Amino acid sequence: MWAQSTVALVCALLASPTLGRHEEYNEDLVLRPLPDGKLLARFAFTTLLAGAVPRAPASLEDEDISQHYTLFPLALGQILREYAVTELHLSLNAGKWDYDRWGYPEEPGVGTGAELWAWMGDGASSSIDARWKGTQNALAGLFCASLGAMDNQRTTSPTRAFPPAGQLPRLHSPHRHALRHATLPAEHVCTENLTPFLKLLPCPARAGAAALLDPHRVFDADWHGLGMHVRWRAGVGIELSLTVQAVFDPVRGARDGKRDWSLRSIFDRGIPRACPVATTSQVRVDLPPADSGFELSPEPSRIEHGQAIFDIMDTTQDLDVAMKWPQEPKFAYRALPPTIDTSTPLTTSAAFDLHHNPRIPFSFLRTLKGASQDQGTLALTVRNHDSTLPLDVLYLETMPWHVEFYLHTMRTTCDAIPCDALSNLTYTPPVPHTSPALLQAMLTIPPHATLRLTLEARKAFLRYTEHPPDAQRGWDLPPAVLIPISPLHTSQSQPQSQTDKAEIERGWGGRRRVYTPVLLVDLATPDFSMPYNVIIMSCTLVALIFGSIFNILTRRFALVKVVDSEPEEKESAEEVDAGAGAQ
Amino acid sequence: MALSAQLAFPALVAARLLLALSPLPDILKDDNQLSSPLTSYSRLREGIYLFRNGIDPYAGGTFRHMPWRRGRSCGYGRARSKTSGAGREGIVAASYLLNPYLFLSSLALSTSTFENALVLLALMFACEGRPSPALLTLALSAQLSLPTALLLPAITMLLLTTPLSQLATPRAFPTAQVFSKRTGRMLAEFGTYFAVLTAAATIAAGGMSWAENTWGAGLALPDLTPNPGLWWYFFTEMFDYFRPFFLVVFSVHLVIYVVPLCVKFQHDPLYAAFLLFGVFAVFKPYATLPDSGIFISMLSLFPEVYPYLRYPLVTALLHVHASALLPLFHHLWTRAGTGNANFFYASTLVLGLAGGGALIDCAWAGLRVAIGGAGKEGAEWVVVQE
Repeated sequence: MWAQSTVALVCALLASPTLGRHEEYNEDLVLRPLPDGKLLARFAFTTLLAGAVPRAPASLEDEDISQHYTLFPLALGQILREYAVTELHLSLNAGKWDYDRWGYPEEPGVGTGAELWAWMGDGASSSIDARWKGTQNALAGLFCASLGAMDNQRTTSPTRAFPPAGQLPRLHSPHRHALRHATLPAEHVCTENLTPFLKLLPCPARAGAAALLDPHRVFDADWHGLGMHVRWRAGVGIELSLTVQAVFDPVRGARDGKRDWSLRSIFDRGIPRACPVATTSQVRVDLPPADSGFELSPEPSRIEHGQAIFDIMDTTQDLDVAMKWPQEPKFAYRALPPTIDTSTPLTTSAAFDLHHNPRIPFSFLRTLKGASQDQGTLALTVRNHDSTLPLDVLYLETMPWHVEFYLHTMRTTCDAIPCDALSNLTYTPPVPHTSPALLQAMLTIPPHATLRLTLEARKAFLRYTEHPPDAQRGWDLPPAVLIPISPLHTSQSQPQSQTDKAEIERGWGGRRRVYTPVLLVDLATPDFSMPYNVIIMSCTLVALIFGSIFNILTRRFALVKVVDSEPEEKESAEEVDAGAGAQ
Repeated sequence: MALSAQLAFPALVAARLLLALSPLPDILKDDNQLSSPLTSYSRLREGIYLFRNGIDPYAGGTFRHMPWRRGRSCGYGRARSKTSGAGREGIVAASYLLNPYLFLSSLALSTSTFENALVLLALMFACEGRPSPALLTLALSAQLSLPTALLLPAITMLLLTTPLSQLATPRAFPTAQVFSKRTGRMLAEFGTYFAVLTAAATIAAGGMSWAENTWGAGLALPDLTPNPGLWWYFFTEMFDYFRPFFLVVFSVHLVIYVVPLCVKFQHDPLYAAFLLFGVFAVFKPYATLPDSGIFISMLSLFPEVYPYLRYPLVTALLHVHASALLPLFHHLWTRAGTGNANFFYASTLVLGLAGGGALIDCAWAGLRVAIGGAGKEGAEWVVVQE
């Protein structure tokens, strides 16, 4: 008996992932000058728990193994194990990502507001929905964001657009993994989110690339966002990637109107020293074409695939990467070419745009039209820039139940001619006060054509307690997601640059999600000061009618003889039964 | 008179059909006063679309129509003639066809037109003394709109007695008949029809989810789209913890009228049914203008009570007032943005007052007619209520 339990204990200790586990921490900062003079900066802090596996949902009843980490944040590890989350993605963004000017972002999750999605396996004593709720609340506490507001009214399961970025461990049948996805488009990102975010890093704000993250500068950027991605890579381990992405405008800050930038001018500081626990730590700068006359300082450690790489681990002094265009007196904004024509040879500057800053193969516009508070029309316009190949786009629309689509009014036109561009439609209708609508469809856009999709929608009338405190402002609607999956962008997408390779390695290659801007819908509001008045007035009317009817029904009619002189002597001389009251 | 009625009738039907082909239905079809979430044509089409694309229309909250209605295309403008049970068909039909509330609602392609037609058909069959068709149409109508099931006592009584007007000569209902086998058979027949139709709907929808979305909507009021009834704003503004209580109160309140009206008007069950229409028009969940319209139109069946109405002018003016204000304030609130919800709420209260006033007046007149002698009371005798 004793021997048995001792053996079991030893086995448990041996099997425990805390033993013999290797942790690895990598830092990566990408700086990319954009054609419109802006500068994209993307920080990725990746911690790898080598050999670890996500907690099996079936083991939630048993007491969990003790958790000891050296680099992996314990606060996050506890959440992941408590709710047996296999894969988790959180992004908190502010601003509107301009795909036409900036191309694809380094981090794909750029939808305005908060977005949280997780893959979880079932088979536990608590349901996936309960664990999803718990995960939200725990993350809300961890990141000081109101993620707890992602209730059933916002949760969907769009598996076609959000496949797992890593692998999912095999579960015993019939148990399967399920996706939960929710957005809060009105959520803002600010210092109170960045501070706890930095606390999850091994070297917060003291050393390494994280030293650059000064809230004053990050939140001054034209576009900024935080991200957290946890995934499991089979045979490798659990990988946590904390990302900060921002688009700075060096021209705005420069007095001379030049687009020259340096770490010091952008972040108000350089990188003082390397993070001692980091395995690798590097700054990568995407180089513009040589003929644009730029100068980069200091000398990079090496140049690979059009990127200058600075190894922070090697630097002994303060690193301040700077890029200058000495011949350029002033930065001149250029109009973007309207389409990408692959049949004609590209000019050098366009080639630069395409190579380092690939414009997405389509432009889009999504609007909600209609001045009425009870109806509107959702319109999506997608223009295919390619002149030879049709474009297939997976279109995902998540809509709170406040805006209810009339699918039978859905019309598609290609260059103003009605066409059948829609296929493979799946739709989950919304349930009032309970769950949102989910629309997934495949759009096929002919070469060099503009697809226009319109859909009538009914705006709901809400209970007065369901309105937010500033009800007159309206409701933010989540962004739609478009995923180009035409052959051009999947089969031919051989990894060209290191960026692409890295992206595929991180699980986002091939399928790049494109987020449309959020919408604002104006819903009819009741008078919030009226509850008592309405109850009183409606009940008065009900009581008036009820009382009068029953007064008439419960009394009999009678003929009464009136004697002029003596009204007191009212004598009912004759009674006539009205109805059967006298029966 | 007879000739003009004969001419007027096809002319009115033709006029309606012509208007139905005009662009007017497109403008009116989403009007909240004419069609509720339960009777909206857009929602019906949406349900049919979802069904054709293999999506369960009852999975969401858009579609609230009965399953077997899906297969049916809306042949609107179809005149529901000859539904009157008491002769005078020309005037009755004209009052039905010309009633703006009913007229506009069928132009708005509201399915309440069919509900009204069915329940009037049930009444007609009952007047003709044909129990099975009457009970079947009533069961159909109750499937479409649950409150009409409350007409069952009145219709059963109508089947047991004569539809001829008895208002002036009230007689007790033959009590023995109430407990006769015939009554039991009729109730059982209605129950069977209802159960069969429910089963058919369940099979057609492939589950019971439709019941929650159609009947449940009338009890739990999930959709608070404004309508001319009393429920929507009351439950928009209701405190969450009182909501279930008041939902029960409002539902029970609708039922409370059935037995007293049927007992008091046991000598003329058709009149009891007529008054119940008045109750539904005011107190029904998702009430729309056609519900008021059918009550007003049915008044033309009872010309003998006209002299005893106490304030018909006030009621009529209230209706005019309400029907002018309802669309105006709805527009000001939801489109122009210059008025708020209270404006529209106030005009629904006016309509409620008009409907309630007409109901009270008709109940009074229906009893008062038994004493007779309109306008001849003189100084010596007065009629009072004990």
